[in-house]
Amino acid sequence: MIEISHVNKWYSPSFQVLKDCTTSVAKGEVVVVCGPSGSGKSTLIKCVNALEPFQDGSITIDGLKVNDSKTNLPKLRSRVGMVFQHFELFPHLKIIDNLCLAQQKVLGRGREEAIAKGRKLLERVGLKEQAEKFPAQLSGGQQQRVAIARALAMDPIAMLFDEPTSALDPEMISEVLDVMVDLAREGMTMMVVTHEMGFARKVAHRVIFMDRGEIVEDAKKDEFFGQPRSERAQQFLSKILSH
Amino acid sequence: MNYTWNWHIFLEPNPTGAGTYLDMLLAGLKVTIVTSLSAWVIALIFGTIVGILRSLPSRLATWIGFLYVEFFRNMPLLVQLFLWFFVLPELLPRTAGLWLKQMPNAPFYTAAVGIGLFMSARVAVQLAAGIGSLPRGQKMAATALGLTTLQTYRYVLLPMAFRIILPPLTSEFLNTVKNSAVAITIGLIELTGAARAMQEFSFQVFEAFSAATLMYLVINVIVVIGMRLLERAVAIPGYITGK
Repeated sequence: MIEISHVNKWYSPSFQVLKDCTTSVAKGEVVVVCGPSGSGKSTLIKCVNALEPFQDGSITIDGLKVNDSKTNLPKLRSRVGMVFQHFELFPHLKIIDNLCLAQQKVLGRGREEAIAKGRKLLERVGLKEQAEKFPAQLSGGQQQRVAIARALAMDPIAMLFDEPTSALDPEMISEVLDVMVDLAREGMTMMVVTHEMGFARKVAHRVIFMDRGEIVEDAKKDEFFGQPRSERAQQFLSKILSH
Repeated sequence: MNYTWNWHIFLEPNPTGAGTYLDMLLAGLKVTIVTSLSAWVIALIFGTIVGILRSLPSRLATWIGFLYVEFFRNMPLLVQLFLWFFVLPELLPRTAGLWLKQMPNAPFYTAAVGIGLFMSARVAVQLAAGIGSLPRGQKMAATALGLTTLQTYRYVLLPMAFRIILPPLTSEFLNTVKNSAVAITIGLIELTGAARAMQEFSFQVFEAFSAATLMYLVINVIVVIGMRLLERAVAIPGYITGK
């Protein structure tokens, strides 16, 4: 589904953020990307739907090359859902309109169809009652669930999550993770940048560990948590799992 | 001071033979209002386009926006009106120049366009700042949903940016009204022009300019109230700007 092949990215000639990153995500697979801050994991996931340009290598989604000027990027992006750390709901639009905007403007769905779809998804993330409210009237956890519903409204073939729970209060993390776990169990293809190792243990098929722009470890979940090959990943795990 | 006040002067017939001095001032008031509104519409249209250019990632776009703004905001408005009114017709091919000079209401069109372009540079700077103040993730979220750059601006960035810059835009609107008085120098008989004409015919300088001052005040109070109402009408529930 997602093929990442020898991706290199420089912010400046002396500062390389991604070093020869190669991995893939199969259809229906859930891959968790973790690593210390500044390791390039967010940058990598943003490269997947070309929100960040990269200078070298290639990424293909469902057979379409992302870094090809002939690719219709808006169309490709509309098929890949993305959830951000800071939710990024559109503050001037009601919740339901946040869900309808791209359905109508990108997919060309009619207003009624978009609303019906939006309401169904809001119900699914447990926010049916909030449809007519504005984002600022919702809690962080609720906003992030709306953001997930907004991405799902586009009927994506894969979902990208960029630290979806990092900006949330502890008690709101689980309500968002619950939605993500459900998604994973339904067979959604997911690439998730997160520090939530509990989530990784529960639903991930593979874990990728990044450090200083490199993919240091790319292993099946059990191998990763059982006996990580690299020393760097061992240190990382022992630090974040010690509490 | 040897001055004879005569507040009844407004009801005396003016020397043009068409009505009283008050009618003369009201005619000037009308010209001021029409000129200011036309200039403001031009300022908003061009200011929006240039403001968007200044906020685009493209080097060329920002460069064009930069040149435009620096050209129009670094020259006194008076000089700009002279350039458009006296110099431009001479620079154009003979027939075009002649057409410009013989155009009926030439001072009005020149003033509306000249003041409009002068103000558009200021609107552009404000709008670019408004767009710049939005979280970077907003554009990313819109892009990730598959919206094109144009759609992202139209449906996501501009609605928020304009809400944020409404208070400074109010000042710019007021400035547009006040700047319309400069048009007297190219022969437009707007409110200041009418007050001066009244003074020249009647010698009641204080009455003439007291009335003009009062009329400017009334226009601007209406503008301020109108913009307040607009701010209130587009306010987003739960969203507090700048906090």
